[in-house]
Amino acid sequence: MKQSVQESEFIRQKKPALKKLLARLSGQYPYVSILAEDSRAKLYEVSRKNTTVSEDGILSNRGCVVRVSDGKHYTEYSFNQISEENLDEVCDGVAEAAALSEGVLPDGFEESEYALLSEEPLVFDGSTEYETDPEALGDDVILEQLRAVRDKGLAVSGKLLNCGVRCNYQKYSKLFLSKERELTQNVLWMTGSMVLAAARGDEIKDYFRGYSNLGGAEVLRQMAGEVEECANITLELLDSQPMIPGEYDCVCTPEVTGMIVHEAFGHGVEMDMFVKKRAQAEQFVGEYVASELVTMHDGAAAGRETATWFFDDEGTRAGDTVVIEKGILKQGLCDLQAAQALRTKPTGNGRRESYKRKAYTRMTNTFFEGGNSTKEEMIASISYGFLLENASSGMEDPKNWGIQCMVNVAREIRDGRLTGRVFSPIVLTGYVPDLLKSITMMSGEVTMDGGGFCGKGYKEWVKVSAGGPYIKARIRLG
Amino acid sequence: MIEQIKKALQAAGIAEYTINETRTESVECFFIRRKLDLKRRAELCEYAVTVFWPFEKDGKRMLGSSLARIHPEMTQTEMEAVLASACHAASFVANPWYELPSGTQQPHLPSLSTLAGHSLEENMKAMVEALFAGDTNQDVFLNSAEIFVKRMLRRIVSARGIDVSFETCEAAGEYVVQCTAPQDVETYHSFSYREADTDSLRREVKEALETTRARAQATQAPAGGEYRILLSGEQMRIFLNYYVKRAESGMIYQEYSGYQTGTAVQGDAVRGDRLTIGLKAREPYSAEGIPMKDRPLLENGILRTIHGGSRFAYYLGIEPTGNYDSIVVSTGEKPLAKLKQEPYLHIVSFSDFQMDAFSGHFGGEIRLAFLYDGERVRPVTGGSVNGSILKVQERMIFSKERYQNGRYEGPFAVALEGVPVAGV
Repeated sequence: MKQSVQESEFIRQKKPALKKLLARLSGQYPYVSILAEDSRAKLYEVSRKNTTVSEDGILSNRGCVVRVSDGKHYTEYSFNQISEENLDEVCDGVAEAAALSEGVLPDGFEESEYALLSEEPLVFDGSTEYETDPEALGDDVILEQLRAVRDKGLAVSGKLLNCGVRCNYQKYSKLFLSKERELTQNVLWMTGSMVLAAARGDEIKDYFRGYSNLGGAEVLRQMAGEVEECANITLELLDSQPMIPGEYDCVCTPEVTGMIVHEAFGHGVEMDMFVKKRAQAEQFVGEYVASELVTMHDGAAAGRETATWFFDDEGTRAGDTVVIEKGILKQGLCDLQAAQALRTKPTGNGRRESYKRKAYTRMTNTFFEGGNSTKEEMIASISYGFLLENASSGMEDPKNWGIQCMVNVAREIRDGRLTGRVFSPIVLTGYVPDLLKSITMMSGEVTMDGGGFCGKGYKEWVKVSAGGPYIKARIRLG
Repeated sequence: MIEQIKKALQAAGIAEYTINETRTESVECFFIRRKLDLKRRAELCEYAVTVFWPFEKDGKRMLGSSLARIHPEMTQTEMEAVLASACHAASFVANPWYELPSGTQQPHLPSLSTLAGHSLEENMKAMVEALFAGDTNQDVFLNSAEIFVKRMLRRIVSARGIDVSFETCEAAGEYVVQCTAPQDVETYHSFSYREADTDSLRREVKEALETTRARAQATQAPAGGEYRILLSGEQMRIFLNYYVKRAESGMIYQEYSGYQTGTAVQGDAVRGDRLTIGLKAREPYSAEGIPMKDRPLLENGILRTIHGGSRFAYYLGIEPTGNYDSIVVSTGEKPLAKLKQEPYLHIVSFSDFQMDAFSGHFGGEIRLAFLYDGERVRPVTGGSVNGSILKVQERMIFSKERYQNGRYEGPFAVALEGVPVAGV
């Protein structure tokens, strides 16, 4: 039976003081908002010779950020001590932050100007649901489940060097207050993963698989059933060969599709990049950027995964944005400040790593809709190419729409069949629209993976999910 | 607050612990072109408490641990509950027993950085001026920038007498350079200084502007094949970090790495330069309170130090050193000009250069490279590198020129033979 995540005591207790702070700051600034966050995140790891339990440093937070506007310029102040007794200090901190431009700007520099933000009134209180609360389940039971998966994996072969199994969860409550809005949300997500390793001389080959859900420890049930398969793939990698560089017909598994969706295209439609003139996508709105088979979504309300919530860190309701519809780029994703600069509406994509950091336009749950083909039909249609599995990392290039995605496994396809030969590791490169326009087949089922985090460049980590169907495309591999 | 945490630890019956206190003040500026788009200030106080719990399992001594986060707004009751919960978790963490570090109260170590003598606002203004000093062109310019100036106070207190504190200052950030002709391109750059090194920032921006102008000239990818490649700048730290990671006690204890002191890490048939790498202590104490000092990692290709915290060091029977991520590398004898006398592919910028410390594979998509075919040099873009350090480490040649940025000081460039490149 599903239960709802409860509001944090910290948020509940501090709400009166935060409302007083809002009232006081509203006397000085025409726009004020406060985001309060209370999040607890725990990480469990077991491997052959190591066990750790720790609260995650990036995901465990308790504090507030105030955003004010004097009618033209935005200022923020992050802090983690708040009570009815120290409101003067907080107000002083905000005032010092607002005065920064006088002290730090050299002659000839100025501040960007934004019109005063107007908000529609909104009151909201919502929670996500879970089956098994990891905190109630207990550390001993969680570790025992992870150890069972580890032992099952290691039992597959003495050639396996290690089987690392981990899981982590984040339970968070957020309160957004402004003159027109009072929003509360309580969310729980949990992920699991395993990394198996085997040695080929000094070279360690490893294979990773992730699991995720918007919910609790029920996600752990899936892991034990797949660890033997993962162990066997790891052993296969011991016989892998380096990729022969070239352009090939490829079938991508949903997780590789997800990485292409997220890294290759998603970052390019984050509209704070439009404001900076850093994204080529801005010039392609209304144009074909992909095959007519492709329809792409992003939104915290577009799916139920680890990046699902009810409002973003700027108090905008979660959305479901159709980014590409039947191959045509329809619109990008937008935070509040970028929306003001571009004179458009925010899409619910203003996200912070935590209350300590700035909000940027960020993706949430990002995916391609499914098509009508099957994975088997795609493989059968290829005379020579590869089935790409096990995405490992990627890097965005919104300006030039270049692709860099790393994939761990490429299975050779010859005359419509898998030959059993495996190549690893592989770098995917190319020009994003070329790749997306080359998609000729998509499978029906869409699978999401919410195990990963997304950075803006090399920092600002937020939880995201990405996915889609199997796709067939022409891709340059190296 | 530390006294309150100690009381809560006592109430929860926890005898072994380490408390890490971090107080951070920062000012942050976000620019679009030369306009300040957002200004921020942060004042934070954070606590990480590691609790240890000794127990026996199957007749063997164990020492479990668990890390809890304590927030300033926690009540005493809540703090006790969080620490008791961490202690409960530690009782299921069945790691073999090890000796925890001990120490005494030491005088506070103030920062000796030139940043410490000025306010955060003064440091920010100096960095803004330095960053934009070379931004005077019409065709190539700073598209956007973020600057973070911080002052941090760290204190580490343990049940075994350690009580140390120190101050660090930092000016860090990132910027994007755009060039609009003959094609509209950009390059990404980051910086991190522990000193008020505005001259270095000015110099880096000047080079970044030149690099981006060259990137705008590059339209073609190199042909696929094997190349003698040159890596340089920030890629050097990422590339050589392979040896730092392989020498970590945790990697060795878990058998991911076969390194032992005395190992010839580049193999027995080195025909290129033998590596000499020093581990540089960026802070006076590790998170466990272990005093940190500069140490030799490699001398002429021979491993001299295995580094890491107290647990894996105890298991391996070596001295705990703390974890290092900053290196000083001896330069080679050949100037860069000599390395460029033979055909080469000098990759100046990757989309995201990666080194896998497990497999030794390195690579990424090429954003900008200079290809010398023996007759002329031309800029190229596109394609990717997919190499293995295990295949090139016997024949690496390092430049005589030095380069320094953040956590790396050493040769500006390295030449690597026979590296596969996927091109057109």
